[in-house]
Parts: sequence; C-alpha cells; structure tokens
Amino acid sequence: MKLIRDSMVLLVVLSLQATLLYRIEIGGIRPDLLVAFVVYFGWMRGPIPGTLGGFGVGLLQDMDASGPLGMNALAKSVVGFLVARAGFRVHRSNVGVRFAFFFAALLVHDILYYAVATGGDGGEFVKQMFVKALPTALYTAVATLLLLGVAERFTRRRLLTDET
Amino acid sequence: MIRNLLFRRPDWTVFIVTSLVCLSLILLERRAQERVVWFLQHTVLAPAEFAAGWVERGVGVYWENGRLRQRVATLQMEVDAMRAERGENARLRRLLALDQRHPFALVAADVSGRSLDRLGGSLTLDKGEEEGVTANRAILTPEGLVGRVERATAHQARVLTILHRDCAVAARVARTRVEGVIRWNFGDQPTLHLLYVSSQEDVKPGDLVVTSGQGGIFPEGIRIGTVDRVALEPNGLMKEIVVTTAVDFRGLEQVLVYTPGTAEGVAPPDLLEEEAPADSLAAPAPDSAAASAVPASIGATTAPPTGTVAP
Repeated sequence: MKLIRDSMVLLVVLSLQATLLYRIEIGGIRPDLLVAFVVYFGWMRGPIPGTLGGFGVGLLQDMDASGPLGMNALAKSVVGFLVARAGFRVHRSNVGVRFAFFFAALLVHDILYYAVATGGDGGEFVKQMFVKALPTALYTAVATLLLLGVAERFTRRRLLTDET
Repeated sequence: MIRNLLFRRPDWTVFIVTSLVCLSLILLERRAQERVVWFLQHTVLAPAEFAAGWVERGVGVYWENGRLRQRVATLQMEVDAMRAERGENARLRRLLALDQRHPFALVAADVSGRSLDRLGGSLTLDKGEEEGVTANRAILTPEGLVGRVERATAHQARVLTILHRDCAVAARVARTRVEGVIRWNFGDQPTLHLLYVSSQEDVKPGDLVVTSGQGGIFPEGIRIGTVDRVALEPNGLMKEIVVTTAVDFRGLEQVLVYTPGTAEGVAPPDLLEEEAPADSLAAPAPDSAAASAVPASIGATTAPPTGTVAP
C-alpha cells in the first residue's frame, strides 16, 4: 500500500515538475519538487529507502540533464539519507518543523549540486548559492507545504505523519 | 570492521555504496557517461516508455479523433487554396526564370514538458512520428534555432536544445563566414561557445552566428545568437567565443519542426530575416529579385538557405 501511494506521489511530482512548474517561475526560480519528494520519502520510509529513492530519482533526473551524470543522484542520495537520520524523532505534522526540514534539505542538496556543477570555482559557487539555491529552497519549501496542505485536505489524511 | 559495518549498520553501508557509485559516475569520461545513459534508457526506461506509448496511443486516440476530423476539414480547404497559389507561383517563377528551391515544411508543436533537471536542456513536444516529427529534425522558432529531435514516439518527441551538452551545431559567423561548432559548455558559468575558431579569424562581439548547414541536420542560415565575448584560449591557438542565444528558452511554449523534402510545406512570413551586414563576406544572392520574391528564407546570411520554400 505504501509503495503504491509513494509511486502515485512520485508520478504526480514528475508530471508537475515536467509540465506545470515553469509557469510559476519567478525570476528564473522554480520549485524543485523532486527534492521535496526525496525529503518526504526519506523522512517517512527511513535511511535505506531514502538513500535508494534519492539515488533513483536523481539518476532519472541526470539522464535528462545537461550536467555530469551522477550529480543529482549524489545530491539526492545524501539528502534522502540525512533527512531519514535527522528526522527520526521530530514531529512531522508540525508546519514549522516541516518548513525547516524542507528548507534545510534543499540547501544541503544545492550545496552538493552546485559544488559539482561549478567544478570547484569558489566564487561561482557562492554566487549560485545566493542567486539560485536560497531562493529555490525558500520557494520549494513554501510550495511543498502548500501542496501538502492541499493534498492532505483533499485525501483527508496526513501524508507526513509521526507514524512510520 | 567492514563486516561490522555491513551487518550492524546496513543504512550506512547502503549510503556509502550509493555515494561511491554516484562519485564514480561523476568521474567517468563523457563518452562513458553517454554509454551509461544509453544503456539505462534502453533497459530500465524502455518498459516505461513502451507502456507510456501504449497508453498514449490507446487512450488518446478517441479524444484525438474528433478533434482531428474538424481540423482535417479546415486544413483541406486551406490546402486547396494553397495548391492554386502554388501553381500560380510556379508559373510566375518560370516566367521570371527563377530556380526552384528545395521544398520543406514547418510543423507547429507545443512544448508539453520540460527537462526535470534545473539546468534544463531538453523539451518534450506534443507532436510525434505520425505528424512527421522524427529523430534529428531541426527545431526552430521565429527568433532562431532551438535544437534537434532526439527521439520520437507516435505523438510525442524529445528535443535536445542547443543548451544540452549532446547537441552540437555546425555554425558560422554571418559577417565573416568563419565556421565553428556551437556547443553548450558546462563549466563555471554554463554558456554557449563557438568552438574551433582560430585566433587569426575575425570575430567581434555583436556578430550574428547562424547555422552553416554542414552535418545535414540543421538547415543553413538559421539564427543561433550573437557573439557576446571574444577572448583567446590559454594556449593562444584558438578563440574563446561566448554566444548569447537568440531564443529565450525560459518562455518557450511553441516551436516549429523543420521537415525537409516535404512539398506541401509553407514557411510563415515571420521567419524572414533582416539583410546581412553590408561588409558581409557572404556570397551574394544569385538574383536579388529572387531574394525579394521568395518570402520564406530562414536565416540571416545573404546566401540562400538550402531548404527554403515550397515550389
């Protein structure tokens, strides 16, 4: 049941990311729901599924990407693992905790992503973190909370619960 | 210690192994990375693509049918009118002794999906093989070149834009006809570069860069962008030329698919380009009357494109 639900969520997220999200782009910044999915998956399913899920989603993204293969896979594996380890004992239904987790996870993801993407150029890395990573993390965290709220109201159940 | 890690901390083991796999992939050479992607696309993703194609054909066909019937009726009337005009055009051409151009058609398509990756680089179109959109067709907009079709299913096509590392385009500078290859560079600042241009060649910021037509995928003379910066490479042998694209890829919603050799095609008049600069070294058009009489030349060079107008 969990597998079916997670697959459905992933399918919806993939469709949204590929079709609709560019329409809500603000100044070249759009939410990265795939990272948000990895956070959700790692948080709810634990470190091993989180790591493997992050790897799978990242690799899928890498196959469609212009950058080096493995860049997204690495960033998302780490995020999936860290979120699962760090989020074990926190209240997942609390909005503040959710926001903090999504925002922090996005930043960790982008630190790894841009570290590889900028090829070790410190100045460019810092610039990308301020120009792209921070706004994307903020936008994604807000968009994810809104989407989660809508989905939870629509399905009348909590997608991110304290149960495992 | 390894045994302890494997059995007592399986989560750490999975994490470390996964990270090592990712790092290995990142450190692979580009060719090897392309082989891995090819392998994954043809093994892991093949069943999903097959299933998606099956659903697309099966479910979409009824909905599509009614819409298409209406469209066919409208288009048939337009085709009849255009055939009459084409006949008249041919007669006038014969009268003016103008040469016949290679036929082509432009298929309009909507962008139905975008790259999942943040850096972009690919698009999905809502037209496929059944609409004449096949692999390696050039994708354009009135502003310029977008990319090429990588692969197509019955009603969908995946496009590699010129901002993708696997999409290289034979190009030339319109003013001086200096040739090179346009390739997206994944570096400190992802940019489009005109490569393999000798340090002796004359290229300046502001020069228009167009397709050269070599390679057979992209027709000649389509605008790619303008030269933004010119510098010398560290070895001093080649120029480092950064090009700004003519097309704004962020707002791209509709594109045109170039299908050469299709006699039924017409080019929209807004694909007309401005005259090339006066100091252009390009060969002059064979007949100035020809250039003014042909309303569909794509590109900015004075030389006529290889495939331009329906006969």
